[in-house]
Amino acid sequence: MRSRRFSPRQSALLLFALGIALLAASRVVDELRTYQGAQVAVYVIAIASIVLLTGYSGQISLGHGAIMALGGYGAALSFTLWNFPFALAILFGTLVGSVGGFILGVAAARLSGPYLAGSTLALAVGLPTLADQFHILGGEQGLNFDIGDPPHWMQKLGGDNFTQYKWFFWITTSFALVVIWAITNLLHSSYGRNWKAGRNNAVAAGLAGINISQGKILAFTVSSGLASLSGALFGLLLGLVTPTAFPLSLSFAIVTGAVLAGVGSLTGSILGGVVLVAIPELSGALATHLGGSQKMTANLPGLLMSSLLIVVVLFMPHGVRIGKFGRQQQANK
Amino acid sequence: MLVQSRTKRRKLVIGLVAAATLLVNALPAHAMNLYKQDGVTSSTITLGITSPLTGAAAPGYNKVPYAMQAYFNYVNDNGGVNGRKIKLIIKDDAYNPVLAKSVTNDLVLQNKVLAIVGSLGTAENEATTRFINDHRIPRLFVNTGYSGFADASKYPTTYTVLPSYVMEAKVMGQYLQENFAGKSLAIIYQDDDFGADALKGFAIAGTKFVAKIPYASGSQADPTVVGKWISGLAQAKPDVTIMFGVSSATAAALGGAYKAGFKTQWLLGSVGGDGTTIATVAGPTALGLLYGAIGASFLPAPSDSTDPYVAQFQAINAQYNAGVAFDNNVLQGMNTAMLTVEALRAAGSKLTRASLLKAIAKSGSTFASAGFAPLGYSATSHVGYNGYWFGTYGPTGAIKPVGGSYTLYTTDSGSGAVVKTVSKRPALPTKGLPNN
Repeated sequence: MRSRRFSPRQSALLLFALGIALLAASRVVDELRTYQGAQVAVYVIAIASIVLLTGYSGQISLGHGAIMALGGYGAALSFTLWNFPFALAILFGTLVGSVGGFILGVAAARLSGPYLAGSTLALAVGLPTLADQFHILGGEQGLNFDIGDPPHWMQKLGGDNFTQYKWFFWITTSFALVVIWAITNLLHSSYGRNWKAGRNNAVAAGLAGINISQGKILAFTVSSGLASLSGALFGLLLGLVTPTAFPLSLSFAIVTGAVLAGVGSLTGSILGGVVLVAIPELSGALATHLGGSQKMTANLPGLLMSSLLIVVVLFMPHGVRIGKFGRQQQANK
Repeated sequence: MLVQSRTKRRKLVIGLVAAATLLVNALPAHAMNLYKQDGVTSSTITLGITSPLTGAAAPGYNKVPYAMQAYFNYVNDNGGVNGRKIKLIIKDDAYNPVLAKSVTNDLVLQNKVLAIVGSLGTAENEATTRFINDHRIPRLFVNTGYSGFADASKYPTTYTVLPSYVMEAKVMGQYLQENFAGKSLAIIYQDDDFGADALKGFAIAGTKFVAKIPYASGSQADPTVVGKWISGLAQAKPDVTIMFGVSSATAAALGGAYKAGFKTQWLLGSVGGDGTTIATVAGPTALGLLYGAIGASFLPAPSDSTDPYVAQFQAINAQYNAGVAFDNNVLQGMNTAMLTVEALRAAGSKLTRASLLKAIAKSGSTFASAGFAPLGYSATSHVGYNGYWFGTYGPTGAIKPVGGSYTLYTTDSGSGAVVKTVSKRPALPTKGLPNN
């Protein structure tokens, strides 16, 4: 077991410093970039859920977009129907997704490889469209999740032009940093070590007294909790949750983000998040530059993402690592 | 060695925290004025539109933005608006509220448009409302008849142009009462605010149905869903079936009924009654299925070349939108573009978002347009047209007014009466170029 570079307290302080720097950055960048920054933070949490599940416990899920939908709908429903404050609504959404994840985890513990991938894929296809069947979930139009203006004290703190998008950036970034810190600690605890032992050699880990099934269920539950948190924050960013907000392509996108980052790297999830937000914008600019048709504009992001995925899998199977720290991490795998 | 390394790390962490804290206070807040003037230069006016260009709802509607662009190009070639050329940025939202939100962000924050014009879809416009309101972006002549958008207190910068779906359902109810009294009625409707508005209008009109069949937007592409509609209709055996959905849903319903051998008198809502679109979705043979159906519209029939507005728009389409068949979507796009040009002209040379909104409130009701019903814009009303005429579809899919002339049914979105009237509208400006 490799020793940690920083103690939990030091990493908390480092992330706190990073948070302060990001908040400072939000004072100088324009509103579009602030919004995109918030999107990156949401994707970072979603990718972290895949990193934990696949990179550490060795389970595959192609249905985390559906788990995000559970979180989004849980938050929006408690916000609109029971008038929960938005922070509580987000936590409620996370709880709903965690419970869903636990149930799935029980089934998932008995499955592996393509069987697990197939069943989670079915979930991604089926679950969001269920919302159409229940009027309480708002049908096709979905549910409103507009949390309104930032509180006055925050407007004072953030300046005269403290917009809703800036506020969203603060909320999502704070959650993302806390998640990275908490998951880093969790992965370095006995739980993380047990997951890795089970992933590397289930028989040997079992002989060593580790309860593999229990570990898998716990990993699926925690991972689902993270995915549903990102789903709730995604709904907050959009101001609404609808079945179309959580398509099958979302599940693939976050898995792609995790692969690009290297499925075992939490810090890499930040890079994955940036790529997921940057690709549509880059492809839009490219399509405009090439003078492409609407069909080309609509399909170019998918093409770019797929191409990037193929290149990474062929030439950088452990994900894109930058600098000395990345290379060292790769060497430690 | 180890102690040294730990000390170094501790110093690094403390240093980073201190530096970051200093940074947050040292950096000046970005001068981000939400209400600053974007989209106007001395030579250009930049506008944006979101519409489905891909996906299930795209057929037909994907022609609207390009028809608008064609009309703007025509105006630009004739001097523009107060010397400024109009640039329209078109974004695809695939009839998806989430995408609509994302591309509207881009239009406002990245492309810096002055206003959004002709954005399509009820849920799509709902999804962007908060952002539009916060940034005081004029959202003009929205391509949806959802009655809620007429609420000026909730949507202060939004102006509707289509008569509301409540109005449409009310006048349909009246028409049914006049022409199909005692007959059994059924309805297929899109299960969102679009359809809910229609049901509200029919309830006000006192229209009763033997079957109400809702469908989720986009599900019309699934043959099993369409099969369920037709089996539901076959069970209820209605004499008249109302289709209140988009054109691709109408095409699916007509095709499904034909395959199942189910016969009924179809009454098509204006949104889903464009013959060209139906033929695009279901093939040219579908035009035969339209034969005998009844439709409603607020614009003249696109095949009516004797109408001066239609003739002018057909000429512009031939020159600036070459190769695109002239239909109700093209007509509507050009009509919306003409209204936009009039609004821009009315705002004067010192064009701002505020002056644009003020100009429509002040003189919008006098704008020349192809619609037969009057425009209801005022300081307190953001409602556009308020009425429809009815027509029947011929064997080629062209709609012609019942009785040979346009008889207009007007009403409001509340409990007001439906009034039959003869249409009056301002004359077409010379060469179709606004001169207000």
